[in-house]
Amino acid sequence: MTGDAADSVPPIGRAQTAKGGHFLETTGVSAPLCPSRTVRASEAGRMNVGVAHSEVNPNTRVMNSRGIWLAYIILVGLLHVVLLSIPFFSIPVVWTLTNVIHNLAMYIFLHTVKGTPFETPDQGKARLLTHWEQMDYGLQFTSSRKFLSISPIVLYLLASFYTKYDAAHFIINTASLLSVLLPKLPQFHGVRLFGINKY
Amino acid sequence: MRPEPGGCCCRRPLRANGCVKNGELRNGYVRSSTATAAAAGQIHHVTENGGLYKRPFNEVFEETPMLVAVLTYVGYGVLTLFGYLRDFLRHWRIEKCHHATEREEQKDFVSLYQDFENFYTRNLYMRIRDNWNRPICSVPGARVDIMERKSHDYNWSFKYTGNIIKGVINMGSYNYLGFARNTGSCQEAAAEVLKEYGAGVCSTRQEIGNLDKHEELEKLVARFLGVEAAMTYGMGFATNSMNIPALVGKGCLILSDELNHASLVLGARLSGATIRIFKHNNMQSLEKLLKDAIVYGQPRTRRPWKKILILVEGIYSMEGSIVRLPEVIALKKKYKAYLYLDEAHSIGALGPSGRGVVDYFGLDPEDVDVMMGTFTKSFGAAGGYIGGKKELIDYLRTHSHSAVYATSMSPPVMEQIITSMKCIMGQDGTSLGSAFGREMLKRNIGVVVVGFPATPIIESRARFCLSAAHTKEILDTALKEIDEVGDLLQLKYSRRRLVPLLDRPFDETTYEETED
Repeated sequence: MTGDAADSVPPIGRAQTAKGGHFLETTGVSAPLCPSRTVRASEAGRMNVGVAHSEVNPNTRVMNSRGIWLAYIILVGLLHVVLLSIPFFSIPVVWTLTNVIHNLAMYIFLHTVKGTPFETPDQGKARLLTHWEQMDYGLQFTSSRKFLSISPIVLYLLASFYTKYDAAHFIINTASLLSVLLPKLPQFHGVRLFGINKY
Repeated sequence: MRPEPGGCCCRRPLRANGCVKNGELRNGYVRSSTATAAAAGQIHHVTENGGLYKRPFNEVFEETPMLVAVLTYVGYGVLTLFGYLRDFLRHWRIEKCHHATEREEQKDFVSLYQDFENFYTRNLYMRIRDNWNRPICSVPGARVDIMERKSHDYNWSFKYTGNIIKGVINMGSYNYLGFARNTGSCQEAAAEVLKEYGAGVCSTRQEIGNLDKHEELEKLVARFLGVEAAMTYGMGFATNSMNIPALVGKGCLILSDELNHASLVLGARLSGATIRIFKHNNMQSLEKLLKDAIVYGQPRTRRPWKKILILVEGIYSMEGSIVRLPEVIALKKKYKAYLYLDEAHSIGALGPSGRGVVDYFGLDPEDVDVMMGTFTKSFGAAGGYIGGKKELIDYLRTHSHSAVYATSMSPPVMEQIITSMKCIMGQDGTSLGSAFGREMLKRNIGVVVVGFPATPIIESRARFCLSAAHTKEILDTALKEIDEVGDLLQLKYSRRRLVPLLDRPFDETTYEETED
């Protein structure tokens, strides 16, 4: 953990749905999720006005929306088909490319881009968080997180099979998989190695 | 959940095809044949004659079809990618940059504008911005005049052509009972009062701003609602945001519906109480929260909560759903919580005599601890009120932030409310109670359109506000145009078949909200 500004990244919590009581307060932060500190009326100028939900950060719910997993699968399938249509790529190359491009896109959109593309009424709590860290307000092991962790693994297995476990392909695919699996570990929540992408 | 013998207000969840599991009919709940209708969407909470409802209450919301949802995401994905491309071009000055940026000298400082947070505004909203903030130049009645404006730089700036589009059918104003007009008895009375009292009060209620008109209005509102006393405020939003902090504080618990309005959310956050959110109109969710709150108490100390306040609205304007008030009241009595009912949209518009959602369900106003509402919608005025027991209102007169710091309501506005309320009480206040914006404007109809992030990502909506001022011809025209636009833009997603109205006996005693 790169030390300073500890309050910029809230610590994580587990999905404690089995234990009763803690409905939304499972992030384990010292302040409850919906902050019970007072908000000056002047600061809350645009809060949730004209919206049809009371969700503070809609980004946290996008990956749980209806049909988005299917859309994701279709998109990966489309990528694969487009790569397959390029005549001078052999099958192993196509699979490795699918794997690599998918992991690269996932790394950029889930683990590099920070904040939200719209203003949120949470006064910038999520500005330093990547989309992965924002999902479900930092709750770990939710179903969307599991889905997004498993999909690169499935692609990796398929790619390994179709490349016939060739050494060069193996190295590339494994490196790519590691690059996209490590940031998903709960231990890496909010971690910024060497200060890269911190602010 | 173990069922209580008699009067239980929670029910077993239905299976996806609408059938209750075997052997689980209890407490007089009749399995409705309409509930098993093979509609493509899932059916949420269809109830029939549970003993709490005096008439059948049928509210069904279909889920978006999967194909449409997937295509919506693809659409957002494409727009996002193009947005990144355009940002890249703007950054490297290949494309002209219209939005605010810092000066060159300040680029090394901490950034003043959060560029990424304006991503959607810059790249999505700007493209379709001409659908919002349309200036009108007439009374927002059944028809409205809109000032025409054109943009020559893709909506970054607008120029007024000087034309006025006259007679646009207005389906966007909250003019439910048609009181927004500039002729008639309300307007004359308000003009008289304006001459006599002037426009401004120039003081707060607690200082010199308490006029005799305020007393008259408050007595009338109390009589209208059927409560002991009422207090009015100059601004509807401020009624919620300034009074909830006066009622609850630290150590209290607020249970708020998912889709509550910003004023309720702000009031709840300002109060300092703990806020827990239950799923929209979902009584199981609410009951679970109540049980957990009472059993476990406050988070770390396990002390009992000082107060538990349930915040609901009468009608949720973005969904069009009505709160399940009988069940909420049953729950509140069972767990000894307090109920705060915000009737901003339902007062005047629901119920046989227009007294709101309490009247609609035929319940006792005394069961609702705090009845709040606004005068902006059905009464064509401005401001809000809170009604309840006399002790409550007396307490609010001294402790409410609005009463102490905000100027009181202006006299002509009060007169408008008094006249319109008397109108409603004197006659039947029944009302009709209940890609796109541009096409509709082309066809001379104005609607309100909302999209992500104001709604969940696949649930953008267009909202139609019906008004008593709309005549049948206007509504027929509107329906015809909506039909055309729906076909044109392929927006007809419901898989229900339309049943001709004559096939079923339809009278005013059913609550049916959709056709099956």
